[in-house]
Amino acid sequence: MSDSTTEHKGNEERHNQFLQEKLDNALRRLEQARPFAKIQYQTQVLALCGRIIGDAEGTECLYALAPRLQESGIFVGTDWEMPSSLLPQLVTNTLERGEKMTVVLDCLSQLRMLAIAQENVRHPTVSPEQARDFLIQVLSLNLKYLFDSADETLRIRLGELGDAVGVLYRFLLEHIGLDNILDGLIKEIWRILAQRPIQVLKVKAMVTRIAVMLSQNKGEIASINIGASRLVSALFGPTQGCQDDPGLEPYRMRLETMDLPALQQEAYGFSRAMHDVGLVSDYHASFLRWLLEQGQGQLISDALGLSSTGLDALRSYQALIHTLIEEAIYPETAQAIYGLSLLLENGALYSSPIAPGLWRQIKLPLSSHAKATLSSVLGDALEPRVYLLASVISLLGQPLGVAQGNNPTCQSARALSMWSYNDPDYLLHLIYQCVRYDSVLKHFEGCPIDSATLESGLAVSAPLDTDPVSIILVPHLDRIYHEMGRLCVGRGQDPHRWINPEFHGWWVGRQFMIAVDVGSGNLMDYDAFIEQFYNSYHPYYNGNQPVIHPQPVGIAVTDSNAQFIGWHAITLLRVALDQTAVMRVYFYNPNNDSGQNWGNGVVVSTQGQGERFGEASLPFEQFLSRLYIFHDDPVGEKGGAMVPAEEIEQVKDMALASWAAGRDACAREVEVQTLEV
Amino acid sequence: MTNANTDRGYVAILGWSLNAIDAIDRFDRRYIIVAPAWAEEYATANDIPLIVWDFERLNDRSMEIAQKLKDKGVDVAIPLFEETVEWAGAINSVLLGKPRIMSQSLLFRDKSLMKRRAQLGGIRIGIFEEAQDRSDIIHFLKRVNQALLKLDGDPNDPIHLKALDKAGCEGHWVIREPDDVDKITDDQFPLLMESHLDGWEFAVEAWIKNGKIQFLNISEYVTLGYSVFVPATPELEKYRPQVTAEIEKLIEVFEIDFGFIHPEYFVTSDGKMYFGEVAYRPPGFQAFELIERAYGFNAYQASVLMFDPKTTQEELDNFFPREVVDAKGHAGCFGVYPRRRVISELNIPEETEQHDYFEFHELGEPMANKVPKRSAFGTHWGLLHFFGPDPHVMRDLLKAQEELDFYV
Repeated sequence: MSDSTTEHKGNEERHNQFLQEKLDNALRRLEQARPFAKIQYQTQVLALCGRIIGDAEGTECLYALAPRLQESGIFVGTDWEMPSSLLPQLVTNTLERGEKMTVVLDCLSQLRMLAIAQENVRHPTVSPEQARDFLIQVLSLNLKYLFDSADETLRIRLGELGDAVGVLYRFLLEHIGLDNILDGLIKEIWRILAQRPIQVLKVKAMVTRIAVMLSQNKGEIASINIGASRLVSALFGPTQGCQDDPGLEPYRMRLETMDLPALQQEAYGFSRAMHDVGLVSDYHASFLRWLLEQGQGQLISDALGLSSTGLDALRSYQALIHTLIEEAIYPETAQAIYGLSLLLENGALYSSPIAPGLWRQIKLPLSSHAKATLSSVLGDALEPRVYLLASVISLLGQPLGVAQGNNPTCQSARALSMWSYNDPDYLLHLIYQCVRYDSVLKHFEGCPIDSATLESGLAVSAPLDTDPVSIILVPHLDRIYHEMGRLCVGRGQDPHRWINPEFHGWWVGRQFMIAVDVGSGNLMDYDAFIEQFYNSYHPYYNGNQPVIHPQPVGIAVTDSNAQFIGWHAITLLRVALDQTAVMRVYFYNPNNDSGQNWGNGVVVSTQGQGERFGEASLPFEQFLSRLYIFHDDPVGEKGGAMVPAEEIEQVKDMALASWAAGRDACAREVEVQTLEV
Repeated sequence: MTNANTDRGYVAILGWSLNAIDAIDRFDRRYIIVAPAWAEEYATANDIPLIVWDFERLNDRSMEIAQKLKDKGVDVAIPLFEETVEWAGAINSVLLGKPRIMSQSLLFRDKSLMKRRAQLGGIRIGIFEEAQDRSDIIHFLKRVNQALLKLDGDPNDPIHLKALDKAGCEGHWVIREPDDVDKITDDQFPLLMESHLDGWEFAVEAWIKNGKIQFLNISEYVTLGYSVFVPATPELEKYRPQVTAEIEKLIEVFEIDFGFIHPEYFVTSDGKMYFGEVAYRPPGFQAFELIERAYGFNAYQASVLMFDPKTTQEELDNFFPREVVDAKGHAGCFGVYPRRRVISELNIPEETEQHDYFEFHELGEPMANKVPKRSAFGTHWGLLHFFGPDPHVMRDLLKAQEELDFYV
């Protein structure tokens, strides 16, 4: 352990001691207080609990305090006072809409329930069985928090507390057990995997727990849930040779004894499971490395499940691909195999700068800062450069799989995705600058902006819950984005007009449409805005022109009650008919989970409506009703039909019934246009 | 009132403060709250003994409340707010049969009288005068600066204006130039004008019984109107002997036999103490809460001990910890004012929230986007509380808060 990490640990320990003392003192005062004065001290205790609850240790500590918290009167005078009258159905709403302190109180109430269920607290009106049933329902209704807590609604409102909710729910699950929520959980995992995220750590952790449970309860549950066994086998035994999950070393020994057809079977098994589920087994990595060591490279294409396109790319760049496997694919980075397969399939390698760019990446020495950052997040099982290279492969193969984590950096995450999708050699160039020199140089209206000389933007610390490329690059991009925003101050218009083309690339349309007046926050020329979007992107009204380059657009995110939450950056990818002849907009959302409910029936779909992996989609009108910024190229008449007035009216009504409510009035207090997060 | 001991006194609390009521309810004295009608519902719902009284009108019915309390067997009345100080004086003069208590309380209520009394008693104070209108202010500003031998064009020394009967920073203005006088509206007059004392300002909280100091705390102001912490740094605590002597002088001059006082002083670079003003009630900025955090005793209960004529010497000896050495740490708070003109939300900066010393805040979300112009020193939007072992870390931390935005 380096000195700086020891010191960090020490600081953290001291900080925790301080917090404990403060909580103890606040609790003591709450305990002392007469019932009529409890309210004076509850908020202090809640605020301190909110700061402590952030990690597993904190949750454990608050759980230990559950009896004392209950006795102290933390719930007195609140809706949580009588646990017997609580309803599991209301929890989701509290998490999605409640104030920070309400969310903390709800979390403490769950810990109290757990304490009752575990018989650490006795309660006159709630039995341990009832408490347990309550928690089972709460978990089943809020499965998404077991994976990634942070969608836009939660993150903007709760900040770091958003993570804490996830930690708490995983803690509850640990004590309540999986079996009762298994069916829902499996569906949720499949739903998340259908979006093919790059970061699959939490999914893998959950599948692992399911595997443990299934092996403990053989016969009872295992036969029921085919979905569960497919997930488990994809991770722990996707092929004949490893279906009993023998361990990596025994598996290699088995490989030694296999003949070519058997090895071929192994290769098919791996690729089938990988493409079916979106998860990659550690054995898969082991298998690929073994193939190269044994000179069996001809099986690699089957092990990657390549089509003729991918196979052609593999043959054209065989030395490169073999080196990438040797340098980047280990059991710890097995998930990158999926990215590698898709990188070969998407044809990016045929663009001439990519192969030499990757060669540079392979040999790229990391700056000491980049090394330290990566090892502190990922540990030192592998060299930091290995993690980074694997991450580069994933990102190039899965442009729509990158996510912002629990960080206010949608702009940067979206940019990474766009470059990977559309400008991958530029992305390699940025990564090179960043890890070699700890700085990124971009230009804004001719002026150089060097990230190394800028103060941090919204992302105060490095985003730790994302992929290695994001961990390294996002802080720089975030600073540059904010610097560009700063340079636009005083122009009286939304800064994205100038930032978007400069920040992303020449292919961002030069025409800028915005639905609100920046000064007042009120709607401005909204009918024209709607009509223009039809003319720009709806195939019936733009001369049937498909979207050429991905375009940055801004949306007004609304929660499940259609209330405005904040401005958010996403990418417009395609507009096309789905299988039921509904015109849909397909887009990329840098949030970890795109399947969101934006209220009033606007529910974002992520699979089953013609989406490609990683895409989200909405019917055209619904999408447009949440849009507030888009770009287009001023190309004059597009030769489409006139947009019917009733269509425009319909979109407008949907907007006014959600985020734009109250924005059509004339006099509102000044709202300062904020950057998208 | 489950702990009440009938051998001890029966106190009336003038004013409504939940923290105070909670503390006194937990103490061993019988009590009754005297508060305006709006408190009645809450008091009834929570079994808090209450007499409804309108403090706004000091008139021929004043005797009525004193008599009411006397009939109930109440021994003494304790004021919680500036506005109830003279009520307590009037009531106690009846309850205790000492008419001078009434006139003593008026000294605490009228800043101009207060200064004169202090001056008569030989306590060092700055130059002061009463102003009836704006021309008085301009005249005073000129004379003070002439006396300081300033030439034309030299920057003026400022003067301070204070409403005669307001608490704390409310109605406190600083004037440097004659033009500044236009800020003062007609309803502020008459007011008190004082020369500016260039020194280190601090406050004292002193509990007094039988004419003797029972406990003396020094509160260090980091920036007046923004931040305070207790106990003070060793640099300020080294003046404790002088401070004690000054408080003893104050007790003598103001004939204080019992109670709680909260005076403010300046100490100049040559170590001289200047008296600022004194209040006969709990201070603002939650100083009582800070003292409890640092020392562990409840300051409201301490005040009850001081006022109650039936308090025994034994109780006094056992109640207070030793000053400074018995403090478990330093407790401070910072009053937040929005720094921007247009704001949309509350946002506690990371560096504040993550600091080891940070405890909690009492800030609410803004009600409107536009921040009203601050008049005088104004009222803060809420307090941030801190607690930790090192007075210098505390001081620098409180200072650093001034540069942060809590509303963005």
